[in-house]
Amino acid sequence: MSLIKEKFNQISPSEFFYRNRDLAGFSNPSRSLYTAVREFVENGLDACDSKGILPDIHLTIKAVDQEKPDPKPYILTVKDNGPGIETKHVPLAFGTVLYGSKFGLKQARGMFGLGATMAILYGQITTNKPVTVKSSTDGKTMEIFELLLDIQKNKPVILKHTTKDVSKKGLSVSICLEGDYSKAGSKIRDYVYQTSLITPYASITFDDPKGEKYSYPRMINTMPKPPTIIRPHPYGTDVETIRRMIVDSQFEIPTIDDIMIEKVRKDLGLSKKNLSFTAIMEKAKKKWKTLSRQVRVVIALMSFLKMDFEKLSKIRIEDLDVPNKKLFYWDFGDSTSKSVEMDPESQYYKQLTNTTQGETLTAFLTKKFQRVGPSTAIKFAEFAGFKPEKRIGTMTNQELAHLSDSLQKFDDFMGPDSSCLAPLGEAPLEKGMTKFFKPDFLTVLQRSASAYSGFPFIVEMGIAYGGEISTRGIKVYRYANRIPLLYDEGSDVVMKVVNEIDWSRYKAKGDPPLVIVSHICSTRIPYKTAGKENVADRPEIERELKLAIQFMARKLSVFMNKRGQAEAAKKRANLYAKYVPLIAQFCTELAGKKKEPNFQKILHDETPIENEEKAIENE
Amino acid sequence: MSKKSEIKAKKISKKALEKQKNILEMLKSHGAKIYEDLDNGQFPKFSIPSRSVSNIVYDKKLRQYILGNSSAIRSSKNTSQLRSFTQLMWLAFFANRLTNEKKSSTLRDIYYSSQAFEIDFEDQSESDNIIVDLEAVTSRPREDFHIFPEERSSIFGDLTIEYTIPGYEGKSMNLSNHPDGYAIGPSLTTCELVDTSAEIVIAIEKGGLFTRFVEEQVDKKFKSIIINTGGQAPRSTRTLLKRLHDEMNLPVIILTDGDVYGEHIAMVIKSGSANAAHLRELTVPDAKWVGVWATDIEKYKLPTIPMTESDIKRCYDLQKDPRYIDGIWKKELEVFLRLKRKAELEAFSKYGLTNITDKYLPQKLELAKSL
Repeated sequence: MSLIKEKFNQISPSEFFYRNRDLAGFSNPSRSLYTAVREFVENGLDACDSKGILPDIHLTIKAVDQEKPDPKPYILTVKDNGPGIETKHVPLAFGTVLYGSKFGLKQARGMFGLGATMAILYGQITTNKPVTVKSSTDGKTMEIFELLLDIQKNKPVILKHTTKDVSKKGLSVSICLEGDYSKAGSKIRDYVYQTSLITPYASITFDDPKGEKYSYPRMINTMPKPPTIIRPHPYGTDVETIRRMIVDSQFEIPTIDDIMIEKVRKDLGLSKKNLSFTAIMEKAKKKWKTLSRQVRVVIALMSFLKMDFEKLSKIRIEDLDVPNKKLFYWDFGDSTSKSVEMDPESQYYKQLTNTTQGETLTAFLTKKFQRVGPSTAIKFAEFAGFKPEKRIGTMTNQELAHLSDSLQKFDDFMGPDSSCLAPLGEAPLEKGMTKFFKPDFLTVLQRSASAYSGFPFIVEMGIAYGGEISTRGIKVYRYANRIPLLYDEGSDVVMKVVNEIDWSRYKAKGDPPLVIVSHICSTRIPYKTAGKENVADRPEIERELKLAIQFMARKLSVFMNKRGQAEAAKKRANLYAKYVPLIAQFCTELAGKKKEPNFQKILHDETPIENEEKAIENE
Repeated sequence: MSKKSEIKAKKISKKALEKQKNILEMLKSHGAKIYEDLDNGQFPKFSIPSRSVSNIVYDKKLRQYILGNSSAIRSSKNTSQLRSFTQLMWLAFFANRLTNEKKSSTLRDIYYSSQAFEIDFEDQSESDNIIVDLEAVTSRPREDFHIFPEERSSIFGDLTIEYTIPGYEGKSMNLSNHPDGYAIGPSLTTCELVDTSAEIVIAIEKGGLFTRFVEEQVDKKFKSIIINTGGQAPRSTRTLLKRLHDEMNLPVIILTDGDVYGEHIAMVIKSGSANAAHLRELTVPDAKWVGVWATDIEKYKLPTIPMTESDIKRCYDLQKDPRYIDGIWKKELEVFLRLKRKAELEAFSKYGLTNITDKYLPQKLELAKSL
């Protein structure tokens, strides 16, 4: 987080996003309205998911002036029954860019909660109206804020703050923005429809500007298992990630000033007493276990300097030369630079090197990554050609690059932990699809977790055929992390796999009334473009999709065969019933008989025979 | 009518009755077999000679195309054949009625008649196809079942016939009584040929020339029966030609336009078409094509028109036909291809309207003797 902030600190994040709002999907009134709907609905669903609350989402879009032609200002309101947001966080959460709680590695619909703020920013830019946030965390009191965003300073401006008694928890966000519902309407309706399909445990309503009400009631009352936050997998890291992880695990030698000395004295229980150097060391040894890292470092330095607090306050540490085992310091009294030797056998020496050089490679790997135990770490060190006890703080850039490279190449890491993923599950998907499509045939499948480049993913799919499905041809509903993907269908990996299947092999010929629902869950969906509407064709993902579709298509084929046989038998019976009596009638007169032959027998016990037409040679 | 010919007529009439009886019996035996199958609880089926191209072969001895040995089973059990099976059964049933009642009908009639029996043919070509099936199964031409095509050609000359169709039985007629000629329909196809003074039959491709020949009394001048084939000769006409040749011992000569299509009209009269390979009663192997030949175009300096692309293609196609590998058939095709021009019968009008009957015809009749 600190790094991201640093990158933008030349201009404020708000300013940055204001200038680059196209990137976030706010390029024109039609797209912006659609994007804003998505951001708020997804935030609402995520909030409920995180607390295990069955979501009730109410979406309302109202034109400010019904008569004006599009594009025109609309009021967009999304209300949820989630946990709400604590009063103190509301202004920051909705009035600054890059404030969010969704950091960390687990599956969520949005990544950092940027989108909602972008929508607010867009609304403010186009209509100059504040955002209204109503939040209740206790179900008793509701905090109502009207906020504007100070774009230059990236700070919220509270215009109004009131409270009100309520009976329900939840959050409601209302913005006014320039939109084009006549153009965006069908996409928004599709989005709501498709979202409710992949979120069968949610109830979603949508009141559109034309007075139409769309209501998707809850279909199931169980929620999928919530995802957990996990450490990264070795395959999913790069040099930059590793460098950041090392910085987190390293410590600076603290500045030894009066405040620090005061703290050390206090922690040793020597605030009032002036002890000799040896006595201080004695005391520290006794209290070692209770001391903080910083204090331990100061004690370690003192052990080599052989100084008491009085002397310590008159010097400044200049450098800790670990390879040469020397400690340099500046003596204010003499105004000279001095040095002392450090005994590498001393326990204090270890304390100092630990601090400045970081942990050993094996400790670093086991602590910072998932799926790496002590023995795997040692094996890896051997594989990569590092000493297991190598301090990661001492690694050069080249060594870091080699480390990162080796992490990708080492085969013995176990597959990534998929507990951070939250697929919908077969039963809910099946229920949702049944209620949505009322098909004649339905099958769903959740593949077991797999990984691409260290990012775990799970593919779950469903195929529905016939029944009330009225579309001709294969209709594919694509989802990624429970978000419907509506644009750029053509270049998506799911479409690629679906199109590569020879459906006639599975008895789905011509334009079959076939619906395919595809849901890819991952901590990082490999989107092809910044628009996040199509998934790239990673071979690992492609393979899982293909296996899933083939498995289900085989089931479809069995169903189609049975149905085909039944239909053919019925058709055949009808044909016989129509023609055989005629044949009987004609041959009776032709043969000069009075009574018709008894043809009922063959009508009753006919057995299907395919293709009896065969030429025979009469030599 | 002489006594001798009277006896002959009676004999022939008896023959015709016998033929009809044979046909009815054959149809009955087919019906009985189907009846039996049904009564035994079996799906009826029968064998039908394959009419696919691979099964059509040229028989040098018969000098015509015939069907080979392969045949297919048509079964009422196979749902994809059930409909056509029923259609064929209906047609046999309907043909049986026609033959019994001595009523004639046309191809188009058949198509419409089917609708009274819940046998719906999609179009006439479907019903025409079933008629060919019946011919193939029974090896009899449709005319034997009183089914006639729409096309009409005509005949003129001293030929005495006796009708066999209901209402006219025993009535005789001489075909030189009406100068427009007589249409060759069901009655003439089924009539008895009683007597003639003619010594030759002249088949001519065009109606206009037919009228000219009648006007110029070609029948009397050359003791001939003149037949207008109206383009490609219909099967009823080819049947009549064959009967005139076989029963009355008359040679047949053919006059057509001087182009590749004319040449083939003559060939079909002589040795049939691949379309009718399942039938053997339609050819006059001794018939002679006497003109207009390609070589006549040069010889008589006839006005010509250029051949079209399709004319030329037709020449190359026919060169692959085994009947065109020798004799005048081969030679004339080559000349057509060399000239790339063609001439119609009317081209002789350049030398006067009667030039063709006065000059050309006598030369060709003379030539025919040596062919």
